[in-house]
Amino acid sequence: MEKSIETIWKEGFLNTESLIAPKVNSLYDKKSLHIMAKFKKMFLNNIWGIIIGSSLLFTGAYFAGALLAGSIVLIMMLYVAYTAYNELKKLEKIDKAESSYLFLKSFKVWIDQSIERYGKMYRVVYPILILAFYFGIWFSDSLADVRQKVSEHSDLFFGLHLGTTIFVLSLALLMSIFSKSIHRKDVKTIYGGIMNKLDSSLAEMEELRD
Amino acid sequence: MSSDFYTSSIQPHSGIIIKICRAYTDTQEDFEDYYQEVCLQIWKSRNNFKGQSEWSTWVYRLSLNVSMTLLKKRKNNQQYTASDLLVEEVSEESRAFADESLNQLYRGIRQLSEVDRAVILLYLEEKSYQEIADIIGTKPNNIGVRIKRIKERLKKILDGKVN
Repeated sequence: MEKSIETIWKEGFLNTESLIAPKVNSLYDKKSLHIMAKFKKMFLNNIWGIIIGSSLLFTGAYFAGALLAGSIVLIMMLYVAYTAYNELKKLEKIDKAESSYLFLKSFKVWIDQSIERYGKMYRVVYPILILAFYFGIWFSDSLADVRQKVSEHSDLFFGLHLGTTIFVLSLALLMSIFSKSIHRKDVKTIYGGIMNKLDSSLAEMEELRD
Repeated sequence: MSSDFYTSSIQPHSGIIIKICRAYTDTQEDFEDYYQEVCLQIWKSRNNFKGQSEWSTWVYRLSLNVSMTLLKKRKNNQQYTASDLLVEEVSEESRAFADESLNQLYRGIRQLSEVDRAVILLYLEEKSYQEIADIIGTKPNNIGVRIKRIKERLKKILDGKVN
């Protein structure tokens, strides 16, 4: 090296073309795509989680002698996964060519509508799952001894312990009534971080537009 | 961000931002991303500027912090490491400046650690030891020694004695 680094630096930047700034017009383009991609990845993982989890539950139920309950749970969970998959396909339709702001706005609308639709679906799914679990476990072969012991100490109603059944039915009813709020909390727990990022990006973009 | 804010508060210092962003990026695409992110962060934290230092000093500090943070993030993701770069991207980057010696110097700077890059950039921008210490958040005592060490390493890199 013949020149010192100080000289190279000074001479190099004498040429003003070296310091032409790029255009600042797409501040959120990559960010918005990144937010969406991260959400989609999580959403897809969630769908696979439901499929794998329900399959494991089904296997467990089969070995515990609660095949009917296991099948009901499996069918319900696969229905949830299928609905989620369809929701994901709707998400794909959001126009990426829109401005980042409109793109994220559409994404936000999709999330809200999706939560609404899911909330309605869980109104039925939650109680069915709870009841399937309860009846499945209670009448499973592996709990035959427990059923026998309970029947020795208290009267059974159609083979069920009355107090426990009332409690489970009330729980199923409550979960059905509050399905939307429960689902909203679920979504917040799983996707809270990314939803906060979405909200803050939208707020910043609105401020930028002003 | 209003165009007024960009024109009055960022554009006069775009040279600083460009010099810093170039030192932390390997490709034109990354450079543009970093530049936009720095501008955005300056705008977002404009209310945090209390006037205790020069606005330009504040821009230096912010540009360096944003660039170092982005670089760390990318390193963690291991998506943008130099080994992943395509030959085309490297050659695209090597034409970032018209002056080939400057391109070569930048390639050397990029081989330094993140903090050493910041120190040498500030030194080349003729900042005092006190200013360099203020910007990178250290004591000015050992800045001189550190600069000497960085320059020696940089010279070795540029002479091809260090990979």
